[in-house]
Amino acid sequence: MSSIRTIYILGLILTTSMASRGQVERGSMLIKNGTVLTITKGVLENTDVLIKDGKIIRIEKNIVAPAGTKVIDAAGLHVMPGIIDTHSHIALDAINEPTDVVTAEVTIKDAINPSAIAIYRALSGGVTSTQILHGSANVIGGQSEIIKLRYGTLDPNELKMEGAPRTIKIALGENPTRVHGTNGGILPRTRMGVEFVIRKAFTEAKEYTQRWDKYNKDKLVKGFRGMPPAYSLRMETIAEILKGNVIIQCHGYRADEISMMLKVCKDFGIKRLVFQHANEGFKVAPELAAQGAMASVFSDRWGYKFEVYYSTAYNAAILTRNGVVTSISSDDPELIRHLYHEAAKTIKYGGLTKDEALSLITLNPAKQLGIDSRVGSLEVGKEADIAIFKGHPLSIYAIPVMTVVDGIVRFDRDNDASDMRLMVDPYPTTESPVFLLQHQAYEDCLQGTELFFSEEK
Amino acid sequence: MKRFIYLVLFGLIFAVSSLAQVSNQMPVVTRTYAFTNINIVQGPGRRMDNATLLIKDGLIAGVGKNISIPPDAIVIKADSMYAYAGFIDGLCKSGVSAHYNGSSEKVLDPGSPPPALAGINPQNEVRTMLNPDDKEIEQLRNLGFTTAQVIPQGNFLPGQAAVILLNGKSANEMLLVNKSALYTDLIGTRGIYPSTILGVMAKWRELYRQSELAKTYEHMYASNPTGLIRPTSDRILEAFYPVIDQQLPVLVKSEKMMDVQHALALKSDLGFLLLLADVKEGWPLTKNIKASGAKVFLSLDLPEEKKMKTSTEKPTAFEDVEREDLEKRKADAVSKCNAQPVNFQRAGIAFGFCSYSAKVKDIPANLRRMISAGLTEDEALAALTTTPAKFLGLSDRMGTVDQGMIANLVISDKSYFLENAKVQYVIVDGNVYPIETKTGIKIEGGWTIVIQTSRGSMNDRLHIRKEGNTYAGTYFSESLPAPVDLREVSLKGNLLSFKYKLGNNPDAPDMVAEVTVTGKTFKGVVNGARFKNLAIEGVLDTRNR
Repeated sequence: MSSIRTIYILGLILTTSMASRGQVERGSMLIKNGTVLTITKGVLENTDVLIKDGKIIRIEKNIVAPAGTKVIDAAGLHVMPGIIDTHSHIALDAINEPTDVVTAEVTIKDAINPSAIAIYRALSGGVTSTQILHGSANVIGGQSEIIKLRYGTLDPNELKMEGAPRTIKIALGENPTRVHGTNGGILPRTRMGVEFVIRKAFTEAKEYTQRWDKYNKDKLVKGFRGMPPAYSLRMETIAEILKGNVIIQCHGYRADEISMMLKVCKDFGIKRLVFQHANEGFKVAPELAAQGAMASVFSDRWGYKFEVYYSTAYNAAILTRNGVVTSISSDDPELIRHLYHEAAKTIKYGGLTKDEALSLITLNPAKQLGIDSRVGSLEVGKEADIAIFKGHPLSIYAIPVMTVVDGIVRFDRDNDASDMRLMVDPYPTTESPVFLLQHQAYEDCLQGTELFFSEEK
Repeated sequence: MKRFIYLVLFGLIFAVSSLAQVSNQMPVVTRTYAFTNINIVQGPGRRMDNATLLIKDGLIAGVGKNISIPPDAIVIKADSMYAYAGFIDGLCKSGVSAHYNGSSEKVLDPGSPPPALAGINPQNEVRTMLNPDDKEIEQLRNLGFTTAQVIPQGNFLPGQAAVILLNGKSANEMLLVNKSALYTDLIGTRGIYPSTILGVMAKWRELYRQSELAKTYEHMYASNPTGLIRPTSDRILEAFYPVIDQQLPVLVKSEKMMDVQHALALKSDLGFLLLLADVKEGWPLTKNIKASGAKVFLSLDLPEEKKMKTSTEKPTAFEDVEREDLEKRKADAVSKCNAQPVNFQRAGIAFGFCSYSAKVKDIPANLRRMISAGLTEDEALAALTTTPAKFLGLSDRMGTVDQGMIANLVISDKSYFLENAKVQYVIVDGNVYPIETKTGIKIEGGWTIVIQTSRGSMNDRLHIRKEGNTYAGTYFSESLPAPVDLREVSLKGNLLSFKYKLGNNPDAPDMVAEVTVTGKTFKGVVNGARFKNLAIEGVLDTRNR
């Protein structure tokens, strides 16, 4: 049974990777004499990591480099798994489709812009993968995408982490109620409305699946004649959530709405659920752990709106100690460059061990995205996504010196030209302060919703 | 017999009325023309020098050295001129009027607006929106374009494209192919669904899948409707049926790299025939475009070339070094645009050209920039003629100068791609348009002139008028008993020359005047008889006499 399933999954991965036209570049190298922070197997001093065709094939002392293999001297440096950020909006031409409350059919993969300099900036902070999410303007936003930061390619298909699970954004609380309720005058105006929207969409999708299942069954009968049910890409997508094929990435701050969402998922039999932000996650940590739901939090960023007031820097530590798979994420193109600092704060606030703190930005986010069998720790057989630091990454003096994705060096502090853009617009542009302001608001959860806050409404 | 006379009469009236309407077209007396002693580039790499080109009834009736010229033909001596097949524009925004789609109406639920407001109008046909009076048609034609693919105005899915001739007085006369492609630009409508590329891509996929299901069911119903729920007609979905059948391509305006990427993603998901148009930044995706099998119309627009400062001093200040590096990168990006056609050619991607976002007056210079980047003239010609003809399924009637093709031609005084080449004639559907080089110089009207002779100055008058495509005039002199006619009045650039006789006696000596026109004055010399280099000056009267 399990072998059949493996074949099925393999087939799925193969077809997905074939569907993406891009031929992803994978490299080989030997990283010598580093202090290797494996996350899962402790700290290995003076150890070598041998990479072949994008995969780690040996982690041992005194490996002799195979002929022609590039050698990187990591003596005195720290070698750790590439940092994984479960929450960013980098490299996107559009973040929200803010015109409807439920837009499950839209997918962020359609807006990936591989020339975005934000990818390179994230690499310069040791990040190798991130989930780029739809914004939080809508209750059921859009499908997100897990990308590897293969900066250098101009083919968006090559950025996608081939074979990674599908994920979708759901947003609770103030953002959807403000965009659609307060400003649009439609459902949802309150948190009760948000729950109603989700339950209604899930119920409709269930009925939708039943209609199609019946039709597809009827069709098998020879000589069948009949009209197919109406097709909806929105319902098709939500149906996939109910079947467990899409992981929910649920934006929610308050304990009450987290509890509400736990209940909704229980009612609909949905198991794969990750809370984004979870600012009051510490209040419901045992409940989260009991249901296997996970949480991605900030270390100490709060107070920027009403629902983010009841906050503590101990959040990540409390969640961790209660057995919740917890990560620290950025939701920001600047913060993404120093997630290792954010992780370090949990040692001060909550007394996590170094491995636990590093797990918050490596193995745990990998688990939350369903890619932990491939990345998130330094182990033989895993993909060679590696960050090399001068100084311990949890030290305030840490400096990322090199970032490797699939065995290819994508950031090297010694080869960091002042202009690392991939594309230059040859047409004249005028830069103005207005433009800069817009740019600042660009990579934001509520990007694209300005119109809905105009005074006309 | 009587009927025949009526027909002739009718034909005459028609000819006269069309003359009145289209001022810059040759008067239609006969539809037979012979261009003699002309160098004919029949197609890329196919040339015939000093030949005759015969046009009859809107078709190319003969191309060759020993063509007998019918007695009713207007013979145009085209010595040393070059003839090419008329150019085909893959995506053109001229010749189409705006179309009301109700966009001023207020939308109550932005999540499900009426389709027309959301730009979902694939059933609309551009032929109902053609505008023969659009001045831009003439501008494009003057460059040698004779055929263009046009689209309805509006975003997302504004309707179906058509191929038109850049000629004609009515939509029917202009139309060559109705429904040549389903057009889309993947741009949403502000404030209503779909508003962003996210919504646009999702909606495209959904519409396509819905159309596939509707089409299959309609087919089932048509074969035996008894007992089946009647399918309701849906004009929007029906517009996709020929696309699903691969009978109609999808034409996507894809300027930038990301636009190309979106179009390729849709093609890869849905499997339709794809025409990428107005492509300016396709070069990063050359491999993907090649692999997709999409057909491409490259933009004739190019970014402005900025001359790099050739200062010998190396900048030292940090910001100057940075600025210089940025300028270098920008110049490099410009050269990538220049080289895009040659790189596509070398990569084996077939492409045509389109004018959509190009400034018409820049097109010849932009073609030359592409040629200096490595594209050969034959390859450029192919992209303007044979390749777009093939893309649009019109190779059996246009794209080359061969007998039987529609008489769409461009004739220039030199090889078309030379910098100082000037288009002399453009022929669309057999109608000949002589092209005047616009110099901004007007010589028609009355001139007060002064000629300096050994016996003092003569204060005389000239009157120059336009006759069809040429000039004629009269010379009123105090030294002559009667006015004399000007002959061979010619204006080339700002050089005006004419001849006249000193008297109406056929034996009277010939005089030749050659002057340079500057604004409303001219200066030059008169020669002839016993006179040599008499200074002549003239001033154009502002009053009308």
